[in-house]
This record gives sequence, structure tokens and C-alpha cells, in this order.
Amino acid sequence: METFWKILKDYCDIPAPSGLEKAVRRRIIEDIRNFATDYHTDATGNLIVFKKGRKERKNKLLVAAHMDEVGFMVTYVCDDGTLCFDTVGGIDRRVVSGRRLRFCKDGMIGIVGSKAIHMQKKGERGVCEPITDMRIDIGCDSKEAAEKLVQIGDCAVFATDFEEFGDGMIKSKALDDRFGCALMVDMIRSDLEYDTYFSFNTCEEIGCDGAKEVSFQVQPDIAVVLESTTAGDVCGVPDTMCACKARGGAVISHMDNGTIYDKELVRLAMDIAKENDIPAQLKNIVAGGNDARSFQTGAAGARVLAISAPTRYIHSASSVVAKEDLISVGRLVKKLLERNI
Amino acid sequence: MNRIFEIAAGLTQVPGVSGEEERSFPYLKETFGHLFDEVGVTPVSSFYGIRHSKKPNAPTILMDAHLDTIGFVVTECCDGGFLKVLPVGGTSEKILPASEVWIHGKETIQGIFASKPPHLQEPGEAEKPMRMSDLSIDTGLNCKKEELEKIIRIGTYVSFKSSCERMNGQCAVSPYFDDRICAASILRALELVEGEELGANIAFQFSSREETGIAGARTTAYHLNPDFGFVLDVCHAYTEGCDESRKCCYMGKGCVISYAPQTTRTFTEAVHALAVKEKIPIQLMGESGHTGTNSNAIQTARGGIPVCLISVPLKNMHTANEIVDLRDARAAADLLAAFLRKLPYLGKEED
Repeated sequence: METFWKILKDYCDIPAPSGLEKAVRRRIIEDIRNFATDYHTDATGNLIVFKKGRKERKNKLLVAAHMDEVGFMVTYVCDDGTLCFDTVGGIDRRVVSGRRLRFCKDGMIGIVGSKAIHMQKKGERGVCEPITDMRIDIGCDSKEAAEKLVQIGDCAVFATDFEEFGDGMIKSKALDDRFGCALMVDMIRSDLEYDTYFSFNTCEEIGCDGAKEVSFQVQPDIAVVLESTTAGDVCGVPDTMCACKARGGAVISHMDNGTIYDKELVRLAMDIAKENDIPAQLKNIVAGGNDARSFQTGAAGARVLAISAPTRYIHSASSVVAKEDLISVGRLVKKLLERNI
Repeated sequence: MNRIFEIAAGLTQVPGVSGEEERSFPYLKETFGHLFDEVGVTPVSSFYGIRHSKKPNAPTILMDAHLDTIGFVVTECCDGGFLKVLPVGGTSEKILPASEVWIHGKETIQGIFASKPPHLQEPGEAEKPMRMSDLSIDTGLNCKKEELEKIIRIGTYVSFKSSCERMNGQCAVSPYFDDRICAASILRALELVEGEELGANIAFQFSSREETGIAGARTTAYHLNPDFGFVLDVCHAYTEGCDESRKCCYMGKGCVISYAPQTTRTFTEAVHALAVKEKIPIQLMGESGHTGTNSNAIQTARGGIPVCLISVPLKNMHTANEIVDLRDARAAADLLAAFLRKLPYLGKEED
């Protein structure tokens, strides 16, 4: 049986930006088909899974993660054979310039051109141009040649591989949120105490859209979102501004830009972490957002909780997490699901 | 084209930031030693290989490409496994956040340039210039400054970690095509004439420290004492938005011959005429002052050495993704091989 880490690596290396989740969904279905009580892909591509536990649960509980990652979309093919593009999801322009990308449909390489330092005019030094001024270079010298290879709407992702480095750290383009997907698959493949729904959502990065659709279909009483969240614990940043820290344990959100989380659930999660000696931390600034916002406001509303892996350089080619934090998130979620909530 | 890519891909896997070129010596000796009668290294870390002609009093032709690449050097170890660095050679700070590097410490380890999370950025900060002092490298190591210093001392070199890959058509990408693609052109030319009787000795110099000055080229040229020589380097290929004058060099239209005061005109004219005669694709560039290459260092070495500058157009210079068109590198190799067979210039000016 494949280990959790192998599954995580495989999922992370699949190119699947918002709206193009099929490749990752197919792989997930392969991995859960013999373990799920019931599963189906809905009309817009969300994968909804039901797993019967030993007992019925008091509330209808849904655990959710999103399949999509941030990426890039071709918006125009220029006369010189380069491509105009826009980001799919929020990507800081400063991690885009000069980057190697891989197109989803055929693996073709593209480079986001970057004016050589020698040719930058005064005032341009170190300044990152807006995305609208950047172009993807695919090695074509005319529109005609480029149009044989790409069309408007084609998507690409950062071209980097999942790797381990440092003291138990992992680097990948898509830890957000293939980690959540891999953890849910791990749970679906195990025996559960209580009945639980799982959803693998589409289009989180562009507005938490998949979760809106899932919300209507499942109508959960409680939704637990498994995510990656920004960790600001880099050189020179004061503790008060970190949001959360790598190696600080599972991150429990009390409030972010999209959601004020259910107080009882937040308290319960913190208590469970304490009782079981699971490292956990509360996010210490209000930033970011995730599918919880869609579940909280979907249908008649649900009580929501988000448990996340602290992730440095999120939404870049090199998101970084500590393996120990992923283990903490996994332990905490499993203990939570053992409760009859 | 596949062979030149193979040579270049091999060369780009060997680190050699200016000042630490010796890391590449074992690979160079092992892989290309057979092309030369003797190989060696100089006190300032250039690598050279000499192939002798059987002809008595044969002239010696220098072929120079620079071995070093841009990179970074560690200036401080910080708590939490972070490093502060300064650039070696010039690069644009804007391409660095979240990019991957090798840190050549006690052992070579991976690192990632930290990026500032958007929630920590002031409004409008993305439009402001980035400074090296705002950046740090995350080693992923969980340790205090003191422990980190045991593995990575101040002065440790850092290089881009990125592979060499084929792109669409005849293009390829790597962080180190400046100037390894040119070394590949020279080595390919030497392969093309391997086993042939030539009327000249060949002195290949893979010079150090071009990105930080001219220390390698000048001293190695002194040591090898050639009659005249070729300098091969990369040049900026035209891309949309550049000055009109940059349209002299396009990707895929051939190698570039420079006319410049820092090169020798009679030599250059002979090479130009040969390219036309042999139907080798070339483009011309006029450089009225400095060429930004080793040409001047070699031209002014000893009592003066005639030089001809040949360039391979390249995009995204000094970034982790430098792009070349392999046809241009092939043209340079063909031109050098043709020159070695025909010898249309012998290093003398008319009175």
C-alpha cells in the first residue's frame, strides 16, 4: 500500500489549476474507489464521497479540501509568438517574473520572460512589472507558429517538482491544497468511527466556487475544511506578524478575511490538541480565506472549522511545509472525527 | 543539434560561480580531456586544453568561453535556518523570490529564496524595487545561527537550482547558458575536426571570473600565449519592447559576429567572409565601445592579441531561465570548424 507521503507527492506533481481539476480527480477516484461507501462527481467536477462509519453521527459532517491549484491562463497570442497571460488565483507578481512554467495539456515548457539586468533602464532595477506586461515565451517567433501549439484559454502551472529538503521540509507548487486531498484520501481508506462526508472541491483559488455547489448538494451541519495557510515566519518578520509558523503545529483559524469560525468548534479543536499532545497554533492575524466561507453561507448555513498546514511562500513555485506539521494536522483531524459531533 | 544540446546540458549541470570554478574541473577533464593533447588549470581557476598541430611553426589559435556563472555568496547566517546573501555578478532581484538554489557549503544543500507573504506587504509594495537586503534564503534547517555556521560559513557560494531542458522547436533553457552554451559550441567544433590534420595549434580556454571582471581571461591568455583568438560569449536576443537597435540579433537567425574597436577588424572581416562563403547563418552587431565580454582582456594581454568576437543570442540573461536557439550555437560551432580547416587569417596586420 502506498504511503501517505507517496500519495502526497503524486498529487502535488499533477498540474491542475482551477477549472482543470480532472487529472487530480481521476487519480483520487482511483485511490478511493475500493474504500468509499459511495462517491460521485457532480455536474461541475466536484467529487463527493460518503464513508460509512461504525456508528451514525449526531450531525451531518463534511470534511473538505480543494483539488485546484493556482496557475496561469493564456489570454492572447502575440504577433512575435509570445503569450499574454493572467494568473488563475492570486499569485504575487514577484514570484512570476523569470519563471519556468509547464502547460497542462502536453507538458510543454514556457518561460515568463524577464528583461536582462543589463537592459533595464534606471528605475526598472528590481521593480517587478505587472502581470499584464509579462509574456510567456514558448520558443516561437511568430503568432502563426505559436498558434499551432497553444490557444487562448490554455493553462500552465509552475514547473517544479515535489522534493524534500532541510530538516524534514517539503517543497512543491501545489501543497495548497493537495495536502488536504491526500489527508482525506488517507482517512477514506481507513476505518472511521462515524459516518462522514468528504468533498474534493473545484475552483477554490478563484472564489471558493466548488464549495458553494457542494454545500447545496450535501447540506452539512458541520463543515471541516483542510487547507494550507500562509506562514510568515521568515527571516526578519516579528512573531506578531507571522500569522502562523512552520513547525508550530496544526493551524486553527478563528477568523480570516472570509469567515468568522464557529467558536465551539475552535475550542473543541484546541482542547483535542491539548489532550492528545498534538502541536497546534491559532492563526494570529486576520488574513486569507478558504472554502469555509462558502460552507458557512451555503444553503441554510453550516458551522465551520478550518484546520491548516502552515505553509511558507504559498501560491509560488516553492511552497514549503514541515512534515511534522502535516502529521499534526492529520492527527488532530482524525481525533476530531472520532468524536460524535 | 542533439549533440550540441547534450554537451551543453552536461556543462550546465556543473556549478561554477565566479570564484569557485574549480568545482567543474573534474567533470571537464573527465568528459573532454580526450579532445586535447594536454589540459591544465591556472592559478586563478581557469581551465584550458591544448591540441598541437604536427605542422612546424604552426600558429596557436585561442578559443575562449568563460566558465564562471553568476550566483550569490553568503554574508550572514541567521536564526531559523535563514541566510543573507549578496549577488556574485549581476542579477535582477525581482526574479528571486521563491526561486530554488543550491548552497555549496560543507555539503551541497537545497534552499529557497524567501518571499514576503502578501499579508505582510504594504499597499503598493509590489510596485517598488526589491532590494537584496530584503531577501533571504530558507535552508529548511531547523537551527540557530551558530549551528548553521558549522555547515555554511560566510563566503559560501550559492547557485541557481534548475535543470537544462529542451523547449519547443530548437530552443533550450537552463540557468547557465551564459556562457556554457558557447563552451559547447567550441567543444563541438573541436569534435567536428577531431582526427583531422590542422595547420594550427588550438588553445581552448574556459576562463574564470568573467562575470566579476576579467581576471581569468587576461591571465590565461598570457599563459597560453596565442597568436590570435576567438572570444565566444552570449548576447541579448531581440525581444518585444527592446530598443530598435537590438533587432540586429534575433533568436534562430545565426551566430553573431561583432564589429568593434575591442576586436580586430581584419580578423573579423576574414571570419565574416568565410561565413558568407560557407553559407553559415550569421548576424552582425556593431559595438562601438565595450563589448561586455572577455574580448578586451584578451586583446590587451601580452603585447596585444588579435581577437574576433562571436556570440550566441540569448534571452533572459542572468536569470534561472536563459533561453538559446540551438541552431545559433550550431552555427558558431560550424564557423569555428570551418575556420580551423581553412585558416583564412593568420594573425598578421599589413604594414
